[in-house]
Amino acid sequence: MDTVLLVFAGALLTALATGLGALPFAFVRSVSTRTIAYSNALASGLMLGASFGLVAEGTQFGAVQTILGGMAGVAFILLTERVLRARDIQFGEVHGDGARSMALILIVMTVHSFAEGVAVGVSFGGSMSLALLIVVAIAVHNIPEGIAISAVLRPRGVSVAGCAGWSIASSLPQPIMAVPAFLAVGAFAPLLPYGIGFAAGAMVFMVFEELLPEAYERGRKAGVALLAALTLVGMMVFQQWL
Amino acid sequence: MDLTITVLVYSSLAAAAAALGAAPLLVRERLPIALIGWSNALAAGLMLGAAYALLLVALEPGSGPGAGGALLGIGFVYWTRAASRTTELELNRLEEMSPDYGYKILLVNTVHSSAEGVAIGAAMAVNLPFGVLVALAIAAHNVPEGTVLCAVLTSRGVRLSDAVGLAVVTNVTQVLLAVVTFAIVVAEPSVLPWALGVAAGALVFLVLFELLPECYRQAGPRSIAMVTIVAMGIVVLLSEQGI
Repeated sequence: MDTVLLVFAGALLTALATGLGALPFAFVRSVSTRTIAYSNALASGLMLGASFGLVAEGTQFGAVQTILGGMAGVAFILLTERVLRARDIQFGEVHGDGARSMALILIVMTVHSFAEGVAVGVSFGGSMSLALLIVVAIAVHNIPEGIAISAVLRPRGVSVAGCAGWSIASSLPQPIMAVPAFLAVGAFAPLLPYGIGFAAGAMVFMVFEELLPEAYERGRKAGVALLAALTLVGMMVFQQWL
Repeated sequence: MDLTITVLVYSSLAAAAAALGAAPLLVRERLPIALIGWSNALAAGLMLGAAYALLLVALEPGSGPGAGGALLGIGFVYWTRAASRTTELELNRLEEMSPDYGYKILLVNTVHSSAEGVAIGAAMAVNLPFGVLVALAIAAHNVPEGTVLCAVLTSRGVRLSDAVGLAVVTNVTQVLLAVVTFAIVVAEPSVLPWALGVAAGALVFLVLFELLPECYRQAGPRSIAMVTIVAMGIVVLLSEQGI
């Protein structure tokens, strides 16, 4: 029973770490088009790098399953967009396209946390000896995800505290999924490549369909490309180092 | 067959694949703009898939050299474009532009394909199946790229046969750098992660800087995203079967 509590506490801690991603945006005040462009580029690089890392992990469990999961992830985004487009959603004081991007990134990152929660549970399932290391690694790994979310929310007028709150909320599925995955590694492990592929497919598709086109429209392409390419490589190195 | 010759043959075939890109222009003199957009997206997805595979191998022995190489690759492409005053150049203009536009496009394409040469050469040094996979991805990527380049050149009054020739010739740097990179890496294996990193960084940056910005002006973001992600998925799947 104690270990279950430990897994839950560990996963909860990693979820809270996501909120730290809002901190760098304490210095971003202006809602200028250029801020949106470069924030989008930053989020794109982080999400592409994270997806590359996820795919590399998922293919170790099964390449075909990962790709199938990825296709489901793309379908999920298309469906979500259809639902979001059908009604005029409002996010704080933002309407229309901006609000849709904000809602979409929260949905994408929340759904992606389910897969990560399973990954946490399964990796705990191996042994408890590395538990602390895994918790710290995932907690640190979650910070850039908070940055990606805040990069989309903050320039559109959400407060820093709000960004932190939404970032943490998007990671809450991690503790929720980690416990059952830990208790039933045998049942969850085969699902892992599908879940990982789903998360990666949804993130990559969102980058190409929503974040990058808007970034190119509003910013200089050299700046957007440099920022996204550097963060992608940085994220890959960061994940490997953990 | 000596491996250097293998590298020469595969990179030459990949370079020559650009000629296939002229095929749509035989059917229609002026291509629909969306088709050019999808060609760019297809090229972008194949290139990103290759970059993914290269980056994973580059970072395997430890992140320092691979990451250092990636920074060099990004920096090299950015610097060549900035130094040649082509950072703001739109690459796919079919209507009338200043007389030197055609030459600038040829220059940009030549720099672009030299990065692909490093990718093929470094990948061949990892092992043959991986090298063939990357060469295949680059070759497939050269086809839609050839389509776009031929469309731009013929719209400027270049004869189609000459445009095809030029599309292949801009890829000569690809063959050259593939062979040179391979020779260097075989002679000094410790530079392999650097070379892989340079290739991966350059490919990622080329996609984000040259291909995707053009795409979104030519077709809707949804179709562009779809073509790009499918092309990426195919390369990822093949790279997992290959290694």
